[in-house]
Amino acid sequence: MSLPALEDIALPNSEALAGVTRIENAPREKATPIIMEMMRSVYPHDVVFGDYCTVNDYIDCPPDELFEYLSDTRSLEEWTYSLRGFTETEEPGLWLAYDRLGSETEIYTRTVANRDAMTVDYHCAWDQGQHLWMIYLMRVVDAQTVLNKPGSVVLWTNCHHPFYDNNPYPETAPAQRPVWVGDFWDMFGAGHRLELDNLKAIAEYRHHNGLPITPAWMK
Amino acid sequence: MEQPAVSLLDVSTYLPGEPISADYYAQFADSDDLRDNLMFRAPKFRHHVAPDETAIDMVERAAAGIVDRHGSDVLADVDILITHTQLPDMPFYGGGGGMANRLGMKPNWVIDLHNGGCAAFILGLKLARQLIASGEGRTALVAVAQNAAGQVFDQETIRPKAQAAVPGDGAAVGLVAASNVSPILDVECRTYGEYAGDMTMAVDPPRKWWQAGPGEGCIGFTESKITKVLARGNRQVPEVAYAVCDRLGLAPKDIGLLVTNQPNRVFLRNWREALELPESKHRDTFDECGNLFAAGVPVNLDRAITEGQVGAGDVVMMAAFAHAGDFAGAAAVRWGGQR
Repeated sequence: MSLPALEDIALPNSEALAGVTRIENAPREKATPIIMEMMRSVYPHDVVFGDYCTVNDYIDCPPDELFEYLSDTRSLEEWTYSLRGFTETEEPGLWLAYDRLGSETEIYTRTVANRDAMTVDYHCAWDQGQHLWMIYLMRVVDAQTVLNKPGSVVLWTNCHHPFYDNNPYPETAPAQRPVWVGDFWDMFGAGHRLELDNLKAIAEYRHHNGLPITPAWMK
Repeated sequence: MEQPAVSLLDVSTYLPGEPISADYYAQFADSDDLRDNLMFRAPKFRHHVAPDETAIDMVERAAAGIVDRHGSDVLADVDILITHTQLPDMPFYGGGGGMANRLGMKPNWVIDLHNGGCAAFILGLKLARQLIASGEGRTALVAVAQNAAGQVFDQETIRPKAQAAVPGDGAAVGLVAASNVSPILDVECRTYGEYAGDMTMAVDPPRKWWQAGPGEGCIGFTESKITKVLARGNRQVPEVAYAVCDRLGLAPKDIGLLVTNQPNRVFLRNWREALELPESKHRDTFDECGNLFAAGVPVNLDRAITEGQVGAGDVVMMAAFAHAGDFAGAAAVRWGGQR
């Protein structure tokens, strides 16, 4: 009754494709102990945050209003730890701000939001606005559907782009700046958690006090 | 007022009979699929209680080491006896009375623990320490006997199961007294009663364990709970050990010796990782003895002391969880270096 799954991958003697675990080649009594062996008491920081840095949380405010707020690049002026002084550049949709993590470091941001998918992706870079390679992938989910309660769930992932390890545009950096954004990669799990906590506290305060999630100054 | 020091002075142990090799189970095993998996890979050896050997016999044999080292009067002077038997000889009244009699004691306190499970030795230490500190006695014996492997798990229809090769039998006694030699620094015991029902005595067709009928009884977890039990064990054992470390101001990596229960290799690996300890500081006897249930902690400690793996001044951390995660405990002792 099954569909012709993997029919195109023809291996001799119906061998399973290496790295593929499906009930046909790993019945439950075989798969369960494999899974149990994979479960640990603790996971090294690098396993959790090394290649992909993900933080998630529940925020008690309406998801559409939170999406609206996050879709405005200037919201970063409020809930990020260190991005300040947003002004729109001559190029529409591209904003310039300063990341106070690196003294007098320019950060460029273009926000790509999709209302149907409720995704808000901040495409950013330090120093230059031509190649926005630091991408903050965020998604707002209606908590009613996933947690059976009103509110929002925010999913947020950054991928460990190789440029975090090596600045590809050193000529754009201010002279004598001692740090590079990627120096902080190992802190991103904690740093992004702290910023998500900011977002949660700000949005929940506004919602609980009858204020619009997007403040008047951003309208 | 500071609590007077109570010490774990000595442990002695007993493993019944000759070691039984993994081949014994291999001849019955249904399938080899799981044999190489870390989770179910059978220990090389385990011991089985003899057919007519009682828990009282096992405890008497375990106590022989204490008598050898401290003289026979040491047992006569015990005024608190705390016992735990995995499979009581007579469940109606427990084993404590018979054990006291066999050991020639007339203790004021005899307590049978049935809730401590694989952490029963730690619960026994907590109780002994408290009773001695409150002046109820000067010397306590904590006696644990695991005797399910050669009985429940060696039944004809049970031994082909992958899990049957894992348990092993053994017994241990710990001598506790008002003393500064090897002080019990702290004990943490936690009960998670909501999980108590997740360990079952399954019989097919179903009947109460004491009723006559076909179908051999097997102790285990409902299949749907296996991963939950693993997750609980992964969490609880480090948690109770951390709680003790926090109160003592001790970094887990500064633990001199960790001894735990030893349900399987995955738990041993995970607990070690969680406490950031190398294998050399986590003594187990899984490959020689299998899952010793409550006897695991004291048997491993005895082995480490005998082989000089723990030195004077080292903090010994004992930690374990019981059953399907309904109880967990950790105890720290500063080992005095001799027994």
